[in-house]
Amino acid sequence: MKKNFIYLIVFALLVITVAEFIGFQSIPIGSFSIGLLPLVFAIAITMILGLSIFRKGFWKKVYSKENVDFASKYLIFIMLPLMARYGADVAPQIGEIIQVGWVFIIQELGNLGTVLIGLPLAIMLGLRREAIGATLGIGREGELAYISEKYTLESKEGRGVLSIYIIGTLFGAIFFSIFSPILLQLGFQVEALAMATGVGSGSMMSAASASLVAQVPDMESTILAYASASQLLTSFLGTFTMVFLAAPLQQLIYKFLVRGDN
Amino acid sequence: MTNGMNKYVKYGLILLLSVGLILFTQEIKSLKDPNSMPVTGTTVLGLGVLWLFSMIGIGISDVMQKSSVKFIRDFPILGWVSITSLVLCLISDFFVQAIQAVDFLSITTPILTFAGISVANRLVDLRKTSWKIALVAIFVFTGTYAGSALLAQLGLYLAGN
Repeated sequence: MKKNFIYLIVFALLVITVAEFIGFQSIPIGSFSIGLLPLVFAIAITMILGLSIFRKGFWKKVYSKENVDFASKYLIFIMLPLMARYGADVAPQIGEIIQVGWVFIIQELGNLGTVLIGLPLAIMLGLRREAIGATLGIGREGELAYISEKYTLESKEGRGVLSIYIIGTLFGAIFFSIFSPILLQLGFQVEALAMATGVGSGSMMSAASASLVAQVPDMESTILAYASASQLLTSFLGTFTMVFLAAPLQQLIYKFLVRGDN
Repeated sequence: MTNGMNKYVKYGLILLLSVGLILFTQEIKSLKDPNSMPVTGTTVLGLGVLWLFSMIGIGISDVMQKSSVKFIRDFPILGWVSITSLVLCLISDFFVQAIQAVDFLSITTPILTFAGISVANRLVDLRKTSWKIALVAIFVFTGTYAGSALLAQLGLYLAGN
């Protein structure tokens, strides 16, 4: 086994230890409080130490090309045990979930919010074709594939979706772990927020649902059950929502908003 | 064929690393906070179950690559693993008991640690995006989440929950 790989493992253990010892921190901001979980510290530490200014000498061995490639290539496999856990959360509550099954399906349509809220703002800021790529969805693999097939990734649309992809990859988990408790404090029901966490990205969903669990620990099993059922549904229906609803709706709004300017 | 087997050995080892890190995290968590979920024999059993379900999911995903339906070929491994786990947990409560001895938050910390390392080379790509797109991104993320939450809230209200 490569020596650098051992550094990677030791580094991961150290980061986990530090993040867990910092623990859950609640930071009040005005009348809100933002809860920061160990997972937020873990991603923040690893991202900051990965900045190129730090990557000298020993750090260069930890963040070697092979190690970074390993992490990005196999992140999905590292994530599999989390997905395997969700069965155990959903199974005991399957009856209840099926009972409100139609609510799960309806909230999928909420993912059109990317077009309804994002597109007008993007047009207002002066973006045009980039906006198509940037607001079709949250820029995960599904949207990347769709946009690159339809417009190629070198097009303006492609640049838009790639930008969202990059921003989401870097900050999505942090964003959702802060945003979902804020909605909770605005008066949303925790069950509704749990259902909404199935946005189609594993790390964003885990960050959002984990921060809800931290706020309402008594509801842990319900939160995780709803979150994972919704995530699973998004992986089934997400493509259809995008192709048959989001994309046509986007074209309609786009044409309406940019009419007469060329 | 040996090549094919090697691939599964590799996946198996990576998954072993993943569940090993979870075990480590849960141990650290209980050192920091004695009230959190302790590491027990059942926890180790639960991690074994998670490992097994993940492997089965990978296997199913590979088999499905031969399907003639594009949608099934494109269905993510993450989804297959969830379905595998759901079906087996519905069949036997033993799996549910074992898995629930694994602390949920302890699963998330190692994943995000690797997520942070994995993006190390993409930080420079941020320069290619503009502040406008960054602002749009905030609205896009807000839109999908708040949109779903609003509809879910409305739906639950109508369902009388």
